[in-house]
Amino acid sequence: MDGTLLAGFAQVLQPGVFLIILGASAYGLLIGSIPGLTATMGTALLVPLTFFLDPIPAIGAIVAATTTAIFAGDIPGALLRIPGTPASAAYTDEAYKMRQNGQVELALGVNLMCSTIGGLVGVAILIIAAPQIARFSLGFSSYEYFFLAILGLSCAILVSNGPRIKGVLSLCAGLMLSTIGIDVVMGIRRFTFGDSELIGGISIIPVLIGMFAITEILRKAAAPSDLPPTPPLRLRAAVSGVMGTLWKYKGGVARSSLMGSAIGALPGAGADIASWVAFALAKKFSREPEKFGTGHPEGIVSASSANNAALSGAYVPSLVFGIPGDTITAILIGVLLMKGITPGPMVFVMDTGLVNAIFAVFILANLLMLPLGLVAITASRHLLSVRQKILFPIILLFCVIGAFAANNTLFDVWVLLVLGLVAFVLEENDFPLAPMILALILGPLIEENFMKSVIKADGNLLEFFSRPIAGTLGFITFAIWGLMLVLSLRRHFMTSRRGNTAT
Amino acid sequence: MKLNDAVLGTIFVLIALVVLFQARTFPTLPNQPYGPGTFPAIVACIMLLCGGGLILNGVRSRDPVLVLSGWIRTPGAAGRMTAMVAFVVLYILFSKQIGFPLLVPVLLTALLWVMQVRLSMAVPIALLTTGAIWMLFSKLLMVPLPLGLLTEVIY
Repeated sequence: MDGTLLAGFAQVLQPGVFLIILGASAYGLLIGSIPGLTATMGTALLVPLTFFLDPIPAIGAIVAATTTAIFAGDIPGALLRIPGTPASAAYTDEAYKMRQNGQVELALGVNLMCSTIGGLVGVAILIIAAPQIARFSLGFSSYEYFFLAILGLSCAILVSNGPRIKGVLSLCAGLMLSTIGIDVVMGIRRFTFGDSELIGGISIIPVLIGMFAITEILRKAAAPSDLPPTPPLRLRAAVSGVMGTLWKYKGGVARSSLMGSAIGALPGAGADIASWVAFALAKKFSREPEKFGTGHPEGIVSASSANNAALSGAYVPSLVFGIPGDTITAILIGVLLMKGITPGPMVFVMDTGLVNAIFAVFILANLLMLPLGLVAITASRHLLSVRQKILFPIILLFCVIGAFAANNTLFDVWVLLVLGLVAFVLEENDFPLAPMILALILGPLIEENFMKSVIKADGNLLEFFSRPIAGTLGFITFAIWGLMLVLSLRRHFMTSRRGNTAT
Repeated sequence: MKLNDAVLGTIFVLIALVVLFQARTFPTLPNQPYGPGTFPAIVACIMLLCGGGLILNGVRSRDPVLVLSGWIRTPGAAGRMTAMVAFVVLYILFSKQIGFPLLVPVLLTALLWVMQVRLSMAVPIALLTTGAIWMLFSKLLMVPLPLGLLTEVIY
């Protein structure tokens, strides 16, 4: 903790900024605890408001809201067996079993404490690792950036669920969308079909809201369901016994927090994957694996540390390279770009104030989560009694106005609707959306660095591998492609053989 | 609402072909074969390959063209989803003429009513929400939400 981090705190603790972070934390708790509202959707809904804020409060709002949302997703999981966000799905059954054993308060108390610890470990790694990597990557040229971005997208496909071919198509759709408008090399109009609104390109806010909020609203509109009432929870029971449980499984907390941040840092892999992996590992390393599935806190401890750690870990590649680690940071990078800040190693040199403020926001948001989380646990009855039939029409109105507000044009509302419907159909058909949003954000970066490199190399593609780091990155990229090809061929082979033996 | 892979594959292939065709018309850098069309063309080629693969998958699987998912058979599901889309379209078409403060309460009440909220609750909720959003966006964030018919009344 040096003086610069203190300077970051000084910026974040200004009354205006602090109030925004506090409000965003409360908003995150609400979003997370209502099933159907995910942390990503909550972030997308925040974007139109952050448009009007300074960079630091804008980032603060997003960081605070997502931190608390990932924890709050555990609340309906334990109470109703419905995960509030996908990141809680891994241990929903286990937590619900604890409720049936009369330990629901303990489960939620452990969730809260582990989320905070995991979050803080993730921040510590972010604070230690990010500036080092940034210093290392200051000498990167367009070749390295091109390969890094390609590597990021390949990784997003590798970890996405669903068939890989659909992941690649979703990625191509995102890249395609990013090429609409004036091109970076010669400044000519591309794919505008004579429409003057399209010259500036597809603006990112309506796309984000459409893809992550409209899709969810449509799904909820089809089958609205009000949640069954839940019992009142006692605060005392949520506090006592938590420390004992944590101490018992301290190894799991440490392992999962570290692993969670590492998984979060992989592009495309976010909090939900981290918590699945952590839960599986906890079971594997456990001394009493037979207790899993009976309301045993060990897996919950691990997985709920990992998902919050992943949230912070995702900021490492996002801040250092501008390559998002998950969908939330993809949105955050979009917000930063709108504010004229291009994330990259230069930010760590030129704008240390901003970087330190981001670190401070993370620490503050995780600390604020403790008291606010306890309030949310005791108020969970009321949080969960929000009527979905009323909530979703209001969110829809907010989406429409939010999409309009950024550029004050109704064209963006069309973009919202069309992209929302397209994303809905794609998701219904098992297309993962994460590669698409990553590609949309990374598209301009990839194209610019690709064109720069090609022009520098005078068309000689071997130049792409001539620098040591670029060559290594390129090799890793090809290795991942090879791995994906082998994996899908093997799956194809296995299924066709199984098909043959069946007939 | 699961479509056969071949249907979506065809759509992707068509988009890729249009992009390839368009990209050929773009100029290139002097003395180099590259230009604004290079990158879209590469993406379109990948899309073409994967779209083709998807068509093959779909044809081979012999799945029906359209399978409706379980939730769409919930009574009134299609109606409620259409209402959500209609809400957005009607806002786009009429917000400028009629104005935010007049149009939104009506639209929102109607939408809540479609969602089976009682009118005695829907009307106050719609009015309150409209007021809150107006305060937030128009007064606090200075977004010029359209006044429409009210423009002449106020000015």
